Amino acid sequence: MADSPALELRGITKRFGALVANNSVDFELKRGEIHALLGENGAGKSTLMNVLYGLHQPDEGQILLDGEPVTIDSPRRAIGLGIGMVHQHFMLVPVMTVAENLVLGAEPRSGLLLDYKGAANRVRELSQQFGLAVDPDAKVEDIGVGTQQRVEILRALFRGAKVLVLDEPTAVLTPQEAQDLFVVLRRLTEQGTSVVFISHKLNEVLDIADRVTVLRRGEKIDTVSTEGATERSLAGLMVGREVLLRVEKPEQTLGEPLLTLEGVSAEDDRGLPAVNDVSLEVRAGEIVGLAGVDANGQSELIEAIMGLRAPTAGTITVDGKDVTHCGPRDTLAAGVSHIAEDRHRRGLVLEFDLAENLCLREYKTPAFSTRGFLSPSKMVTRARKLLKEFDVRGGEPETRAGSLSGGNQQKVVIARELTADPKVIIAAQPTRGLDVGAIEFVHRRLVEERDRGKAVLLVSLELEEVRSLSDRVLVIYEGRIVTELPPESSEEDFGVYMTGGGRDERAA
Amino acid sequence: MTPKRVGWAAVALGILAFFVAVPPLTVRSPIVVIVLAALAMAAGSYAVTAGEKRIGWGGIVAGLVGLVGGYAATQSGVANLERVVVWGALGAATLRYATPLIFGAVGGLFSERSGVVNIALEGMMLMGAFFGAWGADMTGSWILGLVIAVVAGSAFAAIHALFAISFRADQIVSGTALNLLAVGITGYLYVQVYGDLGTPDDLPSVPNVSLPIDWLPLFGDVFGDLNLLVWLALAAVLVTWIVVFRTPTGLRLRSAGENPLAAETAGLNVVRTRYYAVMASGGLAALGGAFLSIGFLHTFTQNMTAGRGFIALAALIFGRWKPGLALAATLLFGFGSALASRLPVFSPSGAVLFQALPYVLTLIAVTGLIGRSVPPLALGRPLPRS
Amino acid sequence: MSALPDDELPPNMTVASRAAVYLRSGGFVAPLITVLVAFLAGGLVVLATGHNPIETYQAIFKGTGFNWVFPWLSEDDRTIAALALQQTLITTTPLILTGLAVAFAFRCGLFNIGGQGQYIVGSILAVWVGSSFDGMPALLHIVVAILAGILSGAAWAGIAGLLKAVTGTNEVITTIMLNWIAIWVGVWLFGLGGPLQNDDPTRVDVPVSNDVLAGAKLPVFWGDAQLQGLHIGIFIALAALVVFWVLLNRTTLGYEVRAVGFSPDAAEASGINVRRNYILVMAICGAFAGLGGALDVMGWQFRIATNDIPANQLAFFGIAVALLGRNTAIGTLLGALLFAGLINGTSTRNLDPSVFEPQLATNLTYMIQGLVVLLISTDVLVVYLLRLRRRRRTQAVAA
Repeated sequence: MADSPALELRGITKRFGALVANNSVDFELKRGEIHALLGENGAGKSTLMNVLYGLHQPDEGQILLDGEPVTIDSPRRAIGLGIGMVHQHFMLVPVMTVAENLVLGAEPRSGLLLDYKGAANRVRELSQQFGLAVDPDAKVEDIGVGTQQRVEILRALFRGAKVLVLDEPTAVLTPQEAQDLFVVLRRLTEQGTSVVFISHKLNEVLDIADRVTVLRRGEKIDTVSTEGATERSLAGLMVGREVLLRVEKPEQTLGEPLLTLEGVSAEDDRGLPAVNDVSLEVRAGEIVGLAGVDANGQSELIEAIMGLRAPTAGTITVDGKDVTHCGPRDTLAAGVSHIAEDRHRRGLVLEFDLAENLCLREYKTPAFSTRGFLSPSKMVTRARKLLKEFDVRGGEPETRAGSLSGGNQQKVVIARELTADPKVIIAAQPTRGLDVGAIEFVHRRLVEERDRGKAVLLVSLELEEVRSLSDRVLVIYEGRIVTELPPESSEEDFGVYMTGGGRDERAA
Repeated sequence: MTPKRVGWAAVALGILAFFVAVPPLTVRSPIVVIVLAALAMAAGSYAVTAGEKRIGWGGIVAGLVGLVGGYAATQSGVANLERVVVWGALGAATLRYATPLIFGAVGGLFSERSGVVNIALEGMMLMGAFFGAWGADMTGSWILGLVIAVVAGSAFAAIHALFAISFRADQIVSGTALNLLAVGITGYLYVQVYGDLGTPDDLPSVPNVSLPIDWLPLFGDVFGDLNLLVWLALAAVLVTWIVVFRTPTGLRLRSAGENPLAAETAGLNVVRTRYYAVMASGGLAALGGAFLSIGFLHTFTQNMTAGRGFIALAALIFGRWKPGLALAATLLFGFGSALASRLPVFSPSGAVLFQALPYVLTLIAVTGLIGRSVPPLALGRPLPRS
Repeated sequence: MSALPDDELPPNMTVASRAAVYLRSGGFVAPLITVLVAFLAGGLVVLATGHNPIETYQAIFKGTGFNWVFPWLSEDDRTIAALALQQTLITTTPLILTGLAVAFAFRCGLFNIGGQGQYIVGSILAVWVGSSFDGMPALLHIVVAILAGILSGAAWAGIAGLLKAVTGTNEVITTIMLNWIAIWVGVWLFGLGGPLQNDDPTRVDVPVSNDVLAGAKLPVFWGDAQLQGLHIGIFIALAALVVFWVLLNRTTLGYEVRAVGFSPDAAEASGINVRRNYILVMAICGAFAGLGGALDVMGWQFRIATNDIPANQLAFFGIAVALLGRNTAIGTLLGALLFAGLINGTSTRNLDPSVFEPQLATNLTYMIQGLVVLLISTDVLVVYLLRLRRRRRTQAVAA
């Protein structure tokens, strides 16, 4: 009993329709250990933990806590068994206070009423005990993400968590906040808590974890100790092939600047500054990469360029034409193509067929309509040609876009955006969720466009992609361009700037 | 003086502009009204320019209303005015007209705070109106009538819950369906049970509560002889406020409406919470309907709620999903109705237009001109399936 | 995290894509089953309250006049059936139009509950124009009155569209409010002492409008004009169906509307002005509903009585029509025929009271209508069928 692991998962299989998210995965967590769960996006890490937390029911397999088999059919049950989870997207109620959020589900009462003072005091006690500073009376919508995360952790501890699962906890944190978090996690393990740390970042896994279990495409690849492991060895396990896809790039011939941003600022949906005084230039015949950690203003910057979000300051010019205050239509017309970051949301109308999707940019031109009346036959003819040219498989012009695979959907987006013969291409996360074949296709097309003298702005969270495709790389952090680096720079150099480290160095 | 205070002063001046022109003051000079209203609008404009948009616009609107109402009063005969503006009677009538709306709005609050849109209030109210009457008639007891009304309303609301929560239906569509269904069910049963004769004249009705406060000026007239259900409605507001904002149950209810996933991960059963909330909603709305049939009109007629469920919904939105503000909205709408019922003295047709007032006010309120009504974040969103 | 297909119907799906899923998976079968289930449930109610459901439905069917198409009918029966069918088709006319008013909005991702208000406003303007301007040439008078109905309906609905576009206000709330405002304005206009109450000295106590002048009445082409024969409005409604289909499927406007309906974000990103679409679509919906109101007052009502204004449920039937018809042109036509038949089959005029009381039957209609909308609101049946098919497919793959 004493030497049985705190938690053990045996042969967990979880299917979603035809997709196997977890295939007979084993996982073991020792008491007081920090165990990292490592894998690419879509490798099945979150699914596995949602199974553990009772949000999904496994199709096969067994969960053992302290050696005892248990069934976890709801988060309530998981909490009762001492499992706490900090989700990637925080599960807090924005309009309520920290104390209210913390006690939700296990509220202290005085008579029939909620004992709010008691709750607030409990928060203060806990926050002192674990060294996690929070203000119990602050509203969650008013506090920063780092503090919100502390609230989540405190909530798990308040509910008596012995096993704490953190899903990509550093994705939203600054490096300093991440370091603070690591200190907290170490202190927790000293007090007997066991931690599962989900991540796809190699360096931090090596930094914080005792052991690492690597998942790839829903299967467990291996469990190794971080002692003696290197980033390269872990990367090999994670990706399953030698990393660093080298993209063949011919010599570049630079031309005029086609996209110029000067001092552009923009706010996010909550009205907080998201893009700060960004100036950049993309010239004909080059791919400029924008590297950065998620949610550092990339989305808002793209939206500002595309006319989807009004900039609060600065100017944006496309080939000499000022498009700062243009809406999406005029920006597109000025010669910008947009491979949207979320193709399901912005890239495609999933319920439209491919012919309709392929002329989203041009349905109003004489090629497809006359006096407001559409010519479906012309749309279909053109679609047939494009689908062939861009090798979209399993798709006829009449096929619904939503029924295609991710890779083929992206090919449709790219077909539409590239045939518009743009001057500037904004490629946002162009390979997200695609398989290797599709990734290579996308990369090849982007390089071809560069060679044809287009200006390409590549925004990606995958540093490897940015480094291998770009001619030069800008690093964005908290809405600012903090530096420009040649793509050959080391991953560590990038890492420093992407996490705000470079700023301190420069200041010093 | 802060701009906010100026804004409140503007609202007060606007009300005063109307008040001076009617009994007991009955100032006959339009100048006074115009000056007061102008002051109100000036103060309101100042507050708006100083950044206090919401209260400032409120002041301007109050000034405008005061100007129109007060000016109209100065132009009409004193005798007429004194027949219409009897504050005690107006107050009692306001409460009477507001009661079904209060029950409806408070009921809607439970449902919508838990994240389920409830445009089926109208239908739930209608069910309460019929089953209250039928139950009272069958059992010979108004108490059992109310109980049967509440049960019927909750059961009917459970259908909404079943479709909106479990089947993840479009909540607007299923709410619309329930309104139609209620018309059909109550109409069918009414014709089947009572035929052409209508409900019997000796229908047991909810008694009035007589308080020995006749000697109190104004208060005695307003509160001295109110129906029990009026008091229950006012109590329901207080209880609702306590339950929703001061108890663990309320915390869970609101979390289900703001971020159901968060509630779920905190170990709560969002589905169950929402079921209870929607059913409570049906029971409360049904009480409002029962007030109409066995508290106020002492009969049931087909489709007798006549849009009151929608006014209740409007009051809820107008009151920003808060019990106190929603009560204020229902009283405002009730006052409009009370005034309208007395206005035919002046113009029989013009009084009808007053009936449109709640809808116009709500239309203005939801557009965000006078501050925006922010609904619960997850309102109308089914829980993601896992 | 990743976009796992954990549900056929993601929670934030627009109404338009939801309907598309239903249409794809259920086709004509699901609405058919829905209607059958609703009728079955109605039959149970009839049975439970001590009547014979089969005889009742037979009598209702006879009341619809649809039996007119049966070749074996005797000459006398056919004459009666013709009268009933004329009534049914008179009701079909506004139902098609209020159905389209809902369907077109749905296709743009909007829920137009305001058909009632738009219908009322259209009928008010049409009755005003139709009862004024004595001496105007007949054809011109008809055209102007119809246009007045169309434009006023469009303007009324346009308010909701404008508010949605400018301030983002939910159109459900605004259209409900606009309904009631229209109702009370109508009651005020034609009520006692109201500005548009009739100026006939013998009817001073009657809260009703002036009569539509002879020149503005729509010609009757089937049956007796004195006995409420079928007016030509039905052809205008059928034309509106064609307009709806062409507009939606063959014009750039319809392309934009569908894109916005399925995915406002993708539409905006590809340069479509989403706000403009909201305004335009609501206005077009209002035009359909307003036309419905105009045709009714010019085709057979000829006047508006204040009592009839709040009692008119046609626009709510329009919701059922559009949903049952899956927001398609042909579906709307069939849905309108079904409900028009039901309304007339259960009316005092057409239902044989010795079999079933018409007052009961009218409420039976409301119940069936409510059930249809309720069942369609989720399409339990469709989702079930969808699952069944998917399971079968996966099994086939596995085998």
